[in-house]
Amino acid sequence: MNIVELKNVCKTYPGFRLNDVSFALESGKITGFIGRNGAGKTTTIKAMLNLIHTDSGKVSYFGLPLNGHETEIKQRIGYSTGTVSWYPRKTIREITAVTRTFYPGWDEEACRRYMTLFGLEEGKRPIELSEGMKVKFNLLLALSHRAEVLILDEPTSGLDPFSRDELLSLFMTLKEHGVTILFSTHITSDLERCADNIVYISKGSIRADRSRQDFVHDHGRPGETLEEIFLRLERGEES
Amino acid sequence: MKALLKKEMRLSASILSYLFIGFALMTLIPGYPILCGVFFITLGIFQSYQNAREANDIVFSALLPIAKLDVVRGKYLFSVMIELAGFLGMALLTLLRMTLLSDSAIYRQNALMNANPFFLGMALLIFGMFNLIFIGGFFRTAYKFAKPFVTHIIVCFILIGIAEALHHIPGLEAVNAFGFEHIALQLSALIAGAVAFTLLTWVSYRGACVSFEKIDL
Repeated sequence: MNIVELKNVCKTYPGFRLNDVSFALESGKITGFIGRNGAGKTTTIKAMLNLIHTDSGKVSYFGLPLNGHETEIKQRIGYSTGTVSWYPRKTIREITAVTRTFYPGWDEEACRRYMTLFGLEEGKRPIELSEGMKVKFNLLLALSHRAEVLILDEPTSGLDPFSRDELLSLFMTLKEHGVTILFSTHITSDLERCADNIVYISKGSIRADRSRQDFVHDHGRPGETLEEIFLRLERGEES
Repeated sequence: MKALLKKEMRLSASILSYLFIGFALMTLIPGYPILCGVFFITLGIFQSYQNAREANDIVFSALLPIAKLDVVRGKYLFSVMIELAGFLGMALLTLLRMTLLSDSAIYRQNALMNANPFFLGMALLIFGMFNLIFIGGFFRTAYKFAKPFVTHIIVCFILIGIAEALHHIPGLEAVNAFGFEHIALQLSALIAGAVAFTLLTWVSYRGACVSFEKIDL
């Protein structure tokens, strides 16, 4: 069952065009969203979050169009990025306390649990956190309001291998609990371990949207890793 | 709406926005252009916008389960709240100067503007212009604020200059009345200021909503 759908999403910037982007996220699956820097991953995610105006196309969650149901949809989704931190000089306690007031379904027990699990200290400020801890804090905010869909924009960028491994394990656990995840990254090796499906975007257009096995089967050569396939596709070589 | 204002006050606001409300005390300074206190209060609000920009507040807010236009509403609510807090302080001190201190020599022998309802009306006009120029200007991009703030500074000091000059013009001495002299005229000026504040803030808010709706974050 598709829980998120994008249909023919277009967005034009000077020098870049997101071109008829269509794909869907299956419920309870991890979808890897791959593409090189500037391919259109973040623009697509911004369209999914209604942060930009698309020229055309539709985004829907849980069968509801984003336009007209934005508030209720945002109660059920979460976003985390490895590239931006919110309120760097406020404490985690203050940010969490304010954020919870926007979510009637906020789960304080889950918040405490993830706080302990992630090793976050309430008195710390985002500016004092490592990149990995910032991602974990963003995830804590998303998970504490019981987000059913997580949109992760390069959550593992800039992380050391150990922190990446920790996060990937967490994503697998969340998937087991039925959370649907869109995992945007250009570090394709992360997806070898956790992704069920792959959406590949290049120059603003979706080049592939299928299960990871089918993607490797259709585009890969024997023994090739996702990264090798990705590099070869980017160089314009087919299998 | 309560959650939105709480977010503005606890996360987006600069401590200076609160501290600068204290510039309302300038109302008591004798021989000083007391409308400058209004400028400093707007400077405190400006600091919150700067704070919010550095903290990625606009995008954080847009990701919350609220309508996009509520981001604008939250900023206006907070700004007007600070302005009205400053105005309340100025009004109380003006009342003090109009009653207990009305015959005080240090205020009577003052070439500059007196604290009276006309002064309060001008304060509201300046707050309204700040909302129109700075806040409305900020929401054209939700990022750039230098030009709107510089424009506000210029307009603000022109208005202060006009307010200070008016009572020196023959026939307009009544705008600088002491105590409850010319109270009808004085209250009319205050009401006109209140109407201007309301209209300018409303026009600014509507314009900011239209601009912000078009912005890609």
